[in-house]
Amino acid sequence: MLRTTLGKVLTGGSLSPKRVTAVVRAASSQTGKKPEQIEVFIDDIPVKVDPGTTVLQAAAMIGIEIPRFCYHERLAVAGNCRMCLVEVEKSPKPVAACAMPVMKGWRIKTDSEMTKKAREGIMEFLLINHPLDCPICDQGGECDLQDQSMAFGSDRSRFVDIDHTGKRAVEDKDLGPLIKTVMTRCIHCTRCIRFASEVAGVDDLGTTGRGNDMQIGTYVEKMFLSELSGNVIDLCPVGALTSKPYSFTARPWEIRKIDSIDVLDAVGSNIVVSSRTGEVMRIMPRVNEEINEEWIADKSRFSYDGLKRQRLITPMLRDNTGELKPVDWEAALLTVAKQIRNAGSSIGAVAGGFADAEVLVAVKDLLNYLGSEALCTEHTFPLDGSGTDLRSSYLLNNGIAGAEEADFVLLVGTNPRFEAPLLNSRLRKAYVHNELDVALIGPKVDLRYQYQHLGDSPSILQQLANGQHEVNKKLKAAKKPLIIVGSEVLARPDGSAILAAAQKLSASTSPEEQNWRVLNVLHKVASQVAALDIGYTPGVDRIRELNPKVLLLLGADDGAIEKSDLPNDSFIIYLGHHGDHGASIADAILPGVAYTEKQATYVNTEGRAQQTLVAVSPPGRARDDWKIIRALSELLGAKLPYDNLNEIRDRLEEVAPHLTKYGEAETANYFKQAQELSKGIKTQLDNSPFDVKLKELSDYFMTDSISRASPTMAKCVQAVLKQKQSKF
Amino acid sequence: MITTKILNLLFILFFSCQCHSARTVTCDRKMAHQTIRQNLKQVKPILSLDKEEARKRVLSLYKAWYRQLPYIVKQYDIPKTAEQLKQKLREEFTKHQDIKDVRVIDMLVIKGQMELKETVNIWKQKGHLMSYFKDTWEPKPTDFLSKFLAGKE
Amino acid sequence: MLPTLRTITNGLKRSLGLRSIQTTSVVHHESLFVHRDTPEDNPDIPFTFTTENKKRAEAILAIYPEGHKRAAMIPLLDLAQRQHGWLPISAMHHVAEILNLPRMRVYEVATFYTMFMRKPTGKYHIQICTTTPCWLRGSDAILDTIKKNLNLEVGETSKDMQFTLSEVECLGACVNAPMVSINDDYYEDLTVQDTEEILADLKAGKKPKPGPRNGRFAAEPLGEPTSLKGEPPAAGFGIRPDL
Repeated sequence: MLRTTLGKVLTGGSLSPKRVTAVVRAASSQTGKKPEQIEVFIDDIPVKVDPGTTVLQAAAMIGIEIPRFCYHERLAVAGNCRMCLVEVEKSPKPVAACAMPVMKGWRIKTDSEMTKKAREGIMEFLLINHPLDCPICDQGGECDLQDQSMAFGSDRSRFVDIDHTGKRAVEDKDLGPLIKTVMTRCIHCTRCIRFASEVAGVDDLGTTGRGNDMQIGTYVEKMFLSELSGNVIDLCPVGALTSKPYSFTARPWEIRKIDSIDVLDAVGSNIVVSSRTGEVMRIMPRVNEEINEEWIADKSRFSYDGLKRQRLITPMLRDNTGELKPVDWEAALLTVAKQIRNAGSSIGAVAGGFADAEVLVAVKDLLNYLGSEALCTEHTFPLDGSGTDLRSSYLLNNGIAGAEEADFVLLVGTNPRFEAPLLNSRLRKAYVHNELDVALIGPKVDLRYQYQHLGDSPSILQQLANGQHEVNKKLKAAKKPLIIVGSEVLARPDGSAILAAAQKLSASTSPEEQNWRVLNVLHKVASQVAALDIGYTPGVDRIRELNPKVLLLLGADDGAIEKSDLPNDSFIIYLGHHGDHGASIADAILPGVAYTEKQATYVNTEGRAQQTLVAVSPPGRARDDWKIIRALSELLGAKLPYDNLNEIRDRLEEVAPHLTKYGEAETANYFKQAQELSKGIKTQLDNSPFDVKLKELSDYFMTDSISRASPTMAKCVQAVLKQKQSKF
Repeated sequence: MITTKILNLLFILFFSCQCHSARTVTCDRKMAHQTIRQNLKQVKPILSLDKEEARKRVLSLYKAWYRQLPYIVKQYDIPKTAEQLKQKLREEFTKHQDIKDVRVIDMLVIKGQMELKETVNIWKQKGHLMSYFKDTWEPKPTDFLSKFLAGKE
Repeated sequence: MLPTLRTITNGLKRSLGLRSIQTTSVVHHESLFVHRDTPEDNPDIPFTFTTENKKRAEAILAIYPEGHKRAAMIPLLDLAQRQHGWLPISAMHHVAEILNLPRMRVYEVATFYTMFMRKPTGKYHIQICTTTPCWLRGSDAILDTIKKNLNLEVGETSKDMQFTLSEVECLGACVNAPMVSINDDYYEDLTVQDTEEILADLKAGKKPKPGPRNGRFAAEPLGEPTSLKGEPPAAGFGIRPDL
């Protein structure tokens, strides 16, 4: 089992083996010639591989897949399931392919009699103690054990204990509201333990006991709570760990799978939405090496039940008694159009975190036609210096995957663990495998890896920018330094000064590579980058100045603007999918659709445009957001020139060509200019300490209108609070 | 059978028009033209020999229907009054008021008689009668806004 | 005994045409591999090393190089067990704290090794070997004596927390069979009478002398040596004369 990385992660700074390994690494890189490739034969097919490649990897290179349970390419090698045994010529015993590095000239037989017999034997051993409960097991149909016992197991049974006197039985563990356990099904592959300790950094899972009594669990009564915990469900090759919200709801062969994009944070994880009978049954990750590898965060995975609750399903208008009454589309649109016509150009719009690029551009076109420029996003970003004119100042320029290569990271006013869990998992990966050093300015939070806490005062950032801090040396010496600034501190009144300080600091570093981007901004919501790309003004200050007669909220639920900020006779239109804060202050509600119900464009924090696809049809009378705007525009006599998705995407392309280049991260440029412009910023840093909203795990689960409506997320919060009471 | 005849007729008419439009009218063609004309005159009647006769048939059909209406209301137990049925009857007849061709009128009369027989003998069901009262079909929305309001977008 | 009973009942059931639907598994091990809070063993009971043991712990830690301190886990757990008599959960937590490890990693080790006693154990832990050589030499009689004398069954602890009786597999003293191990001491070449003497001494608070009870010093033959008595033969012994 994994032991090497653990020591590193868990021992204190002074005890750290880092220095030892660093020396070793340095020594090896000095001798640094790439060693010669060696040739091995797999099923008599020659293949050249680097020394140190395992048999399993070598076989994968030529497309031969060796069956495995415990081996996982993103986790440490355990070698305890023995399913990958293969014959090596002249070796008396079969070898475990996942753990055995190849030697020169080896002839490996993955299909020989001995290999087959070994697999059959292992499968028989595994099945002796595995219950025959596939019909009531949620993994049924997508179970590695089922598939592999069909493919590699024996075709007859020697199991004669029909009285059930000898089958192992293990008591189930309570791992929290997300993971259901049936531990009798466990085959002890230890993938979950390795994931918890290596990727999630929560060492709560382990093996207890020995031999036939060995069990996976937490030993004490403790739940496995992490922002990445759901991934152990995907990792579990059998039905021991399954999804609690999904349990007994659907079978894999009856669900429809649609590739989509997650919008609950700004990372834009790739997901697969499984639906049946017009209902989202579950959400699972999709591999994308550049963004989320193959993990997704728990909020992305489990908050889908929020899509079925608190939904706005019909247009509504506030009547004389002040109550919202359902009306039909015609009435709603006519009323709204009348109000807008009366308001003239005194109209503003605020885009919330879930607004897609299509509706953003449609609203912008409409408001510009009406003569208004008051298009704002709910989340603020400093406008001094280059502001949002240069993309380089508001993107995570170095990319999410790029964080893995960094050797020094300075986090400013951000808690990546909860703002972008998958970025944090990259940082942790770099910390474990790449000797990454992390320093943080901001509140002291638990990132699940060690970092140098510099304090939470802005004066420290000032010192750093002036080159007067001890960390400056490390930053200068670093070959691949990163400065990650949280969007939350940039929303402070002195945000521009913070950005300027970060710019100044990044200018003082000397990255080894030309294309290495030191300054990175981490956003919290999915819509922000697209909104800034299209030309929205960050922050609602402009709305406050304008006092518009009509305000259009595009799913703005974070309460950036209140009814009290507007004149009494102002008319608020809410266009969104959840009855949350925004809907409660609205005079007219136009029901839009959620991300699982539309084909829409989102740009993640690194500037990568991606699109969601329609997995289920919208509930009730809800309509695509941009189509509502399009219909409204016609009633206003300002008909927008697009009637279908292709046409509005053409318009998107006109506005910003990268918005329709799906899957590609459009990198920013003009870094120097942004740096120069930031020098002109006159704002001074104030003295209030940096703060982030999401400090603890209990803060993480309910942050937006979807997750606030989700009962599962509420249960998670409860579980975390309960865990806090526990002595373990 | 009848339809093929009508089709034949139409074809001949069409053909003759073609001949007319052609400028190079030869003697042969004139001859052909005349024979067609004769044929046209001697078209076999369906029921009525002239307009007057056809008119009588229509009126008697109308009366027959008219007399049956009170019984139809009772027997079919439809949510309509005899008055409404009278209105509908009139509507159905006036729908065809512009038809001048005796043969077409005859055909419609035959069809009307068939309908009447089916109705009176209660070979029909409620729904068949109610379908006379069906709303007029809305045309499918074509532009964006009407599609949107109709829930098609 | 139990398996025989099960075979008989199963045979009976089968002959009567009955099929069992009982699904609980055979208990393989007497101890539990999950923690349950009890009045004697819960995380609220404080545990720290005594000043003496603290020094010992430091000495143990000093053996292991930087970055490999976690190797001190087993010695430290053993130290804690010696201090407390058995290994409560608070002691595991304390060791985890000293080594700066997640608690789970300590639980894993403590549950893996059967010599870490995770439930209250008597002052004298009597482990009687009943593996083949001891059994052939009459360990059954010794076990019966202990059971009768202490009024204990295997796996039980006396109410006054003085004795715990366990049946164990080979302890590597086959040449001195039958034997029992009481805490760290081996009592070998036992007879029923010897056993009773030892138990009486323990009850009286005296420490009986460990080692063989039949007059042997260690594992030498009883009485006179029987082999290798003469002088060692000179060089060339057993070699062909023509060489």
